[in-house]
Amino acid sequence: MSITLTVNGTPATVAAEPRTHLADLLRGELLLTGTHLGCEHGVCGACTVEVDGAPARSCLIHAGACDGASVRTIEGFGEDAVMVALRESFSAEHALQCGYCTPGMLVVARDIVLRLPDADEARVREELAGNLCRCTGYRGIVRAILGVLASRRGAAS
Amino acid sequence: MTATISKGVGASLRRKEDARFLHGRGRYVGDIRPAGTLEVAFLRSPVAHARLLGVQKPTGLVFTAADLPEIRPIRANSTLPGFRASDQPALAVGKLRHVGEPIAACVAPTRAEAEDLAAACVLDYQALPVIADMLAARAPGAALIHEHWPDNAFLETRRDEDLTDLDAVAAAKVTRRLRTARQHMAPLEGRGVLAEWDPRLEQLVVTTAAQMPHVTKTGLAECLGLDEGQVRVVAPDVGGGFGYKGILLAEELVCAALAIRLGRPVRWLEDRLEQLTANANCREHFYEVTAWADAHGKLLGVEVDATVDAGAYSLYPFSACLEAAQIGSIFPGPYTLPRFRFRTVSACTNKPPILPYRGVARTGVCYAMETTLDALARQLGISAQAIRAANLVPPEAMPYRNLVGKVFDSGDYPEALRRAVAAVDVAAVRARQAAGEAVGFGLSVFCEQGAHGTSVYHGWGIPFVPGFEQAQARFTPDGVLELRVGLHSHGQGLETTLAQVAHEILGVDPARVRLVHGDTALTPYSTGTWGSRAMVMAGGAVAEACRQLGERALAIGAALLQTDRASVRLVAGQVVAGDAAVSLDQVARTWFRSPQNLPANVDRGGLEVTAGYRPDPDTGTHSYAAHAVVAKVCTETGMVTLEQYVIVEDGGVLVNPMIVDGQVLGGVAQGIGTALYEEMPFDSEAQPLAGTLADYLLPGATEVPDIRIEHMETPSPWTRFGQKGLGESGAIGPPGAIVNAINDALAPLGAELLDLPATPARVLAALAKAGRA
Amino acid sequence: MKPAPFTYARPADWPAALALLAEGARPVAGGQSLGPMLNLRLALPERVADLRHLPGYAGVSMQGETVRIGAGTTHAAIEDGVVPGRLGEILAGVARRIAYRPVRNRGTIGGSFAHADPAADWCAVLPALPGHAIALGPEGERRIPLAEFVLGVFETALRGDELLRAIELSALPPATHFGHWKFCRKPGEFSKATACVLATPGAAPTAVLAALDAAPLVIADASALLADPTAEAARLVATLALEDPWRAALARTALRHAAEAAR
Ligand SMILES: Cc1cc2nc3c(=O)[nH]c(=O)nc-3n(C[C@H](O)[C@H](O)[C@H](O)COP(=O)(O)OP(=O)(O)OC[C@H]3O[C@@H](n4cnc5c(N)ncnc54)[C@H](O)[C@@H]3O)c2cc1C
Ligand code: FES
Ligand code: FES
Repeated sequence: MSITLTVNGTPATVAAEPRTHLADLLRGELLLTGTHLGCEHGVCGACTVEVDGAPARSCLIHAGACDGASVRTIEGFGEDAVMVALRESFSAEHALQCGYCTPGMLVVARDIVLRLPDADEARVREELAGNLCRCTGYRGIVRAILGVLASRRGAAS
Repeated sequence: MTATISKGVGASLRRKEDARFLHGRGRYVGDIRPAGTLEVAFLRSPVAHARLLGVQKPTGLVFTAADLPEIRPIRANSTLPGFRASDQPALAVGKLRHVGEPIAACVAPTRAEAEDLAAACVLDYQALPVIADMLAARAPGAALIHEHWPDNAFLETRRDEDLTDLDAVAAAKVTRRLRTARQHMAPLEGRGVLAEWDPRLEQLVVTTAAQMPHVTKTGLAECLGLDEGQVRVVAPDVGGGFGYKGILLAEELVCAALAIRLGRPVRWLEDRLEQLTANANCREHFYEVTAWADAHGKLLGVEVDATVDAGAYSLYPFSACLEAAQIGSIFPGPYTLPRFRFRTVSACTNKPPILPYRGVARTGVCYAMETTLDALARQLGISAQAIRAANLVPPEAMPYRNLVGKVFDSGDYPEALRRAVAAVDVAAVRARQAAGEAVGFGLSVFCEQGAHGTSVYHGWGIPFVPGFEQAQARFTPDGVLELRVGLHSHGQGLETTLAQVAHEILGVDPARVRLVHGDTALTPYSTGTWGSRAMVMAGGAVAEACRQLGERALAIGAALLQTDRASVRLVAGQVVAGDAAVSLDQVARTWFRSPQNLPANVDRGGLEVTAGYRPDPDTGTHSYAAHAVVAKVCTETGMVTLEQYVIVEDGGVLVNPMIVDGQVLGGVAQGIGTALYEEMPFDSEAQPLAGTLADYLLPGATEVPDIRIEHMETPSPWTRFGQKGLGESGAIGPPGAIVNAINDALAPLGAELLDLPATPARVLAALAKAGRA
Repeated sequence: MKPAPFTYARPADWPAALALLAEGARPVAGGQSLGPMLNLRLALPERVADLRHLPGYAGVSMQGETVRIGAGTTHAAIEDGVVPGRLGEILAGVARRIAYRPVRNRGTIGGSFAHADPAADWCAVLPALPGHAIALGPEGERRIPLAEFVLGVFETALRGDELLRAIELSALPPATHFGHWKFCRKPGEFSKATACVLATPGAAPTAVLAALDAAPLVIADASALLADPTAEAARLVATLALEDPWRAALARTALRHAAEAAR
């Protein structure tokens, strides 16, 4: 079937089997390989992208459902201020090792920062529960997000 | 010298590799798909033990063993006396020996279509009795998995010493039967292979998610009957290894053979279902431990009978016996054990083979030893700290050779224990216990042999023996320093830390250092990244190559400065003589682009050096650590909560403390998984019962507490900078410390937990056994 | 792990959706339960009908004291307060503990209820609330009391030719007490025991015990549980004769915690 969607702000029309999930569509057809697959059953979070403005599992949305959707992948955040701050903070806090979980982590981290400006450590951990990392032990990731939250609160007050 | 302090050895330099990952520009096997690539899905065994009678193939590209006779079976031998090697066929021949064993390769333009083919195959087999449990494997009359063997064991090892006299003199004696679960290493990225045949070079190019690309190349060449020059292995970005990517895969062989046969790129990407239910597992141990101690807790002797469920085949290159046979030599741990008797068995069962996971056998050994010590302490009425203090190797004994010949290089083990205990308010835990709360304090102390080399491995006689680690250092014409190493970085940050080492020696800005790794065509041979060896071995090799390169640069620089070699030094990336200086960039430019200015006696090797390194002695460094845990147990549900987690760690000189902490923290998270969550259950027919990450639980951000790490930095006397291998350390200590904390909490209720993981169901069962639930 | 082939249809209106259903199409809403089953080839539909674009499928409307929640309303919308009043607060608290936010952004209350996974949160909570599931079939709408909707494991009162269209609930007075407790070792894990207790002023308290690997146990009058949570929880769980002592312990604990929180 033919699918029309907007990816990282650019309209795209692709041919895909209805059974192809969004992650494979992005990776295979659109060559956006920053979106990773870690389980293909919704648990690991590696495939998380923004769909119509909110984080979603790209392994659980099959081609038909993407028709008309607006998708933003890790490649599509450019100079977005929150993403810039998160990248900086992730590196400073050593929040990544092999990098495989990182794109999904960043998409979720950005959502946490914007949606829950007052989140404390416990809340950040809870919100991260759907993104597995096998390398870091999470401390760096949690600290990186808390750091961005704190600096934004500082800037706001 | 401020530059050295901020960027060289000891600096928490931010990682050079971060930028690409933070922008989604990492490049993993699954990201590479040349035009015309065909995808593979495997038809896999649905049963654990059967005679394979045939496969009815649907129309399409489906290959069984009979179609690919050019692939020889994988054979991972060991020369240890009595070892039985297994022939692991790339595709099943004659028999099926575990669920998930590959039977046929189904090839199609997309993975989905390849899976359609696999689903359309019809399998004909005759079921055989299944060996699902390692203790039942050697029972008389048990079905034989490899029919020409006398029984289901790869190897048995022993050390005989009569300990019966200890009963009469010991103040305490305990015996414990302990089990650790079968686990998955579960890197977030699975395995993946892309094989291509390059007709121009007549070369097979295999891009694969691997930790040990050169060893994979050797294995591929052997099993495919190619010469090694005809095989190139590329390991691009790899999404975590932990041991899982340290084996030669049947799937790699099949993809390679198909690429040659079909003349098209052929790719297989492991999915999570395959990883969980078909491919290698790790860590399933059973221990029966008896320990004797005097009234002060001083160990008089230990006897251990250990069995490891090695699964159906001996994996290449580590073999089926490394895990079990190692138990004998590492069981004494960091303690001065006077007498010791052991037997180890590598049992063969109808389960997927196992391979060494971060910590290898140490995690199980530490669990068995540390819980046994606490049982002794409870019997003697002394503290967990006291019994350890009574037995740890004292600093004045270093370097210390223990009774099985392990040599510990350096350190103050009792101090690590003291600091770990001091970091926790144990009195507060005792007060809460007195008030009736089920809360406990637990310790584990261990040491980790890392970077052990030729002298240790030649005795195993497995398919590889690590020798001199080589590194190449060379300048490009613009003065960028290029380092080439044969091992692989997949999260460890070697692109940064090896640049720090180069900076330490040559003063080149790490930003101007590039690491080339993960390509057998571009790097010197190496056994790869395993055994906590990368920073010791590659760090030493890079330092030596840079030192020699520096010598050559100094000679050219001296000529450019019109002085002699004795008058120049390297300072911050410059060749300096008094007030005059010439940059390494200029030196490089001279060699490559203005050779007319070179001195007549210039070293014709140019600005390119390959150097080898091996510590002397090469018996390995021993990093060590004490873990201290406060855990709370809900006696109603069995749920365990980790309230505090403290680690005192001695990794010698830390090349990059930030990265070291990252290694420790990541290891601890995995150790928490081993302790509390991770378990691959099998039914009595050896069917794996967890096929998704919703069933096989990995610790998430809510399960791993905020961990405190304190460092001691006793330099290893044997390594280039005093660094010690510690990449695996974090994963070793948690099960012992956590279960000791749980048992401390349960002790007032008369309950004790013995098996891993300490799930709520097991905690409640322990309480029920004690009549408390 | 790729699905077997299927075709995709996106009905523009309810009659079209019912027609597709009659032809054997499998409805899909958020795909957060069906998606994994497709990828694992545990579900092998020939055709899926995407309900998400049906008119009025998502969203909340008030009709007097009745709140109508479109079946396609996501867990995240409910978490963010799309349902007003005390009822909305209660539902938001439940929604927040379902899975993870990226799953909640797609997963729907209707999809979850229709799926009837014994461990699902809505299956454990909705039966305690006063209201109906609104089914739409060839003959029009049918109102199924919430307590009678889930019949077993993955089994509901919906007929094969019906779709779940909405959930209708009575608004709850501000003084309503509610307790909800579930046992998961980590967030998003399948619950091993879930209980909830609803105590509305002037009405008999209700309770549900779920995640039993069976249909939820609905307790129409939970007065005894509120009066003595420990003893009554033990009595109720004993009547179930659960085989696994650990699961029985969790069930008792769940009921007790939920009851205590609702007092
Ligand atoms: C990682 C993960 C963790 C999860 N954790 C939890 C949790 O903690 N608690 C919890 O409750 N749930 C959990 N879920 C499930 C999640 O809540 C799903 O969103 C929900 O169960 C299904 O809703 P859906 O809209 O996605 O339905 P779909 O997946 O689209 O459909 C589910 C089933 O219902 C049918 N269906 C859907 N809509 C209708 C309709 N209107 N009429 C008739 N039939 C219909 C479909 O045919 C299908 O059989 C989890 C899911 C994932 C992936
Ligand atoms: S790949 Fe989608 S959640 Fe794991
Ligand atoms: S950095 Fe490797 S999985 Fe997170």
